[in-house]
Amino acid sequence: MSGLIDKFDTWMAENFCGEFESLRGRATPGDEDIMPELRFAWERKMGEAGWVGVGWPKEHGGKGASLEELVAFNEVYARHGGPGRNGHIGETLFAPTLIAYGTDAQKAKYLPGIKNGTELWCQGYSEPNAGSDLSNIKTKARLDGDEWVVDGQKIWTSLAMDADYVFVIARAEEGTVGRHGLVFLLMKLDQAGIDIRPIKQISETAEFNEVFFDSARCHKDDMIGGVGDGWKIAMALLGFERGASTLGQQMTFTNEFESIVKLAKENGAAHDPTIRQRIAKAYCGLKVMRMTALRTLEAAHHGELSREGYMSKIYWATWHRDLGELAMDVMGPDAELLKDGEYGMLHKLFLFSRSDTIYGGTNQIQRNIIAERALGMPKEPRGKPK
Amino acid sequence: MAYPFTEDHDMIREAVRGWAQAWYDGGKGPERVYQSGTGFDLEAWQALSGELGMAGVAIKEEYGGAGLGDLGRVVVMEELGASLCSVPFQMAGGICTDILQKLGTASGKSMYLPRIASGQICPTYVEGLDAFSIKESSLSGVVSMNAYGNAASHFLISFQRDKKVSLGVVMAANPNIEVEQQKTLDPTRSLAKITFNNLSLDDVKVIGTTDRGRLQDIVDQSFIALAAECVGGAQKCLDITLEYAGQREQFDRPIASFQAYKHRCADMFIALEEARSATYAAAIARPDDKTEAALIAKVVAADAYFKIAGDAIQLHGGIGFTWEYPLHFFFKRARANRSIFGSTSRGYNKIADRIFGNAA
Ligand SMILES: Cc1cc2nc3c(=O)[nH]c(=O)nc-3n(C[C@H](O)[C@H](O)[C@H](O)COP(=O)(O)OP(=O)(O)OC[C@H]3O[C@@H](n4cnc5c(N)ncnc54)[C@H](O)[C@@H]3O)c2cc1C
Repeated sequence: MSGLIDKFDTWMAENFCGEFESLRGRATPGDEDIMPELRFAWERKMGEAGWVGVGWPKEHGGKGASLEELVAFNEVYARHGGPGRNGHIGETLFAPTLIAYGTDAQKAKYLPGIKNGTELWCQGYSEPNAGSDLSNIKTKARLDGDEWVVDGQKIWTSLAMDADYVFVIARAEEGTVGRHGLVFLLMKLDQAGIDIRPIKQISETAEFNEVFFDSARCHKDDMIGGVGDGWKIAMALLGFERGASTLGQQMTFTNEFESIVKLAKENGAAHDPTIRQRIAKAYCGLKVMRMTALRTLEAAHHGELSREGYMSKIYWATWHRDLGELAMDVMGPDAELLKDGEYGMLHKLFLFSRSDTIYGGTNQIQRNIIAERALGMPKEPRGKPK
Repeated sequence: MAYPFTEDHDMIREAVRGWAQAWYDGGKGPERVYQSGTGFDLEAWQALSGELGMAGVAIKEEYGGAGLGDLGRVVVMEELGASLCSVPFQMAGGICTDILQKLGTASGKSMYLPRIASGQICPTYVEGLDAFSIKESSLSGVVSMNAYGNAASHFLISFQRDKKVSLGVVMAANPNIEVEQQKTLDPTRSLAKITFNNLSLDDVKVIGTTDRGRLQDIVDQSFIALAAECVGGAQKCLDITLEYAGQREQFDRPIASFQAYKHRCADMFIALEEARSATYAAAIARPDDKTEAALIAKVVAADAYFKIAGDAIQLHGGIGFTWEYPLHFFFKRARANRSIFGSTSRGYNKIADRIFGNAA
């Protein structure tokens, strides 16, 4: 492969060791609340060495890595057992959006913090009454001199407890409904007007949060696009979610799959014909995901939105949820015991994967999207706004 | 031009699609095959292998083919699948081509590949490893299900002799070979019973020797073509359904606007694209990974096709259940593809064996 990947391989071998050893294969979803300090340190180490944002264009401080290189990069990372990255929201969702829609000044202000692994971001989209119907945003933003003043509430905000900034969609134009009148704001979390309360999840951990805004402030220049562009930018960001960020996840899935196979060999589940068939099916799914990602990314590379891209989210989410169920069945009765009082990695996989089919657009919403956009079927009727 | 295809592939796709859909003609093509009782369409095969020159799409250029490899064959099979055009392409241009190209001797290749490419001969593959017995240089045995055996000019046979697997070619017209067409659940694919009655080995031109494992790998790899046929057929079933859904109204609205209906279509699309990814991945897999990728493609695509063809019938209501409406032909083809050329459960078992490291 390319020199870039060889270098990264060597770097991982030389640097992912010592104190970081305890993070090996950890901090995947369901396990993201562990050892925050050590993970910040790891993020900074990656950043200092120039391994954050390798896929960004060179003029923005990236390495302009090609698609093949990004695939290989993620594979190398996972092969070394690299932990879940708490910088991924900034690196793979926010930064590409900023590069595409931000001003030069905004890029200069925010990209370095992401690149250096010193500033972490979280996503402030969902609200108590705006989930699947995201356009029902009620959080308000009003201009007060040079500042936006924000009031309202976000919910399910992943990693807000660790993050430095949140990107928020809020309603700036009084009286607008739906996708109109929204703004996309960049806000510092550490301020008097913001209160973050962790929410305990199915997994007993708390990786997502409620975020309350009570006259929280940001400078008026900390808005991407103009007033009314919020929806467009929010959607563009979700588009990046479907793209390159799935590649890293692919390798996490491979590692999880392999640990299930290993367990099945050890505890004899490998002799159960039903389990064998399910494992074979899971393996097929893993291979399918890789190829679907390549097809989608290749099309994106040529500036096209390919239809199969619409099936990625529901496919991996459902696959992963099934894998969690398979993991428990491979464990057998042992699945019921928490050894040393702790959830094992497979318990975490099982529990957390229940959310894969909910966040980022539920499976039902994904089916609507496929039917309407990929297949051109009629749109869902809406109720009357209250 | 969509990944992983090139302009060459797009060109042949366009040519074959137009031709195959004209043949399909709203279901008249498959109905004609059914009426003929032969399970295949000789004229269509002559056109595809002759005028269109597709029999050798995967044959290397030095042997008179188009040199477009597995991907080229995937294109042709998708279009054949979408039209149910019943021709022995997968035999002559698929499995026999692969055995010759990957396992044949130099003389075997130059003797048969150019003639397959030009459509002059049409071999099918008869696996006789366990079915044949050899006594004093004559070979006997029965193979009950040979795809397109009644369309064959030659048989490429495999048989076990002195611990080795021999590959040979024999004329179908040999007096010691009897071909009997079978009546099939899927009326658009011919299956023949072939009886070898003291066939003299002198009549068999040996084109290579190999071992069982290697032969099985090559045969499995050739089933990428079958996976592509499933993809083409499944796509057509979804297309037919979407068209119907937009026209048919109930409760004063198009049935396509009901969410339960939309979601079923979305699931069909997911299964279809899953099959497509698996098939394309196998077509571009490196030689070392190809057998496994082909096994995956076969099971995933056959499962998808069967599900989609079944759903298509459900989403049509009563009309989907009629003989006149062509969906039943797709449904039966999908059914057949699950069990011939290696069944789905065998496929999953083989994949599991590879994962757990106890492959034969
Ligand atoms: C672990 C986790 C992390 C998250 N992280 C973040 C984050 O960082 N930032 C953020 O902004 N949000 C985050 N979310 C929120 C997530 O995006 C929402 O939960 C999701 O969009 C669903 O919204 P909801 O919870 O309000 O459910 P609802 O929208 O109320 O849905 C309830 C049920 O109704 C179904 N439904 C809704 N509409 C339709 C329809 N039109 N047709 C058919 N069925 C329908 C849904 O499929 C679902 O089954 C996270 C969620 C989870 C679980």
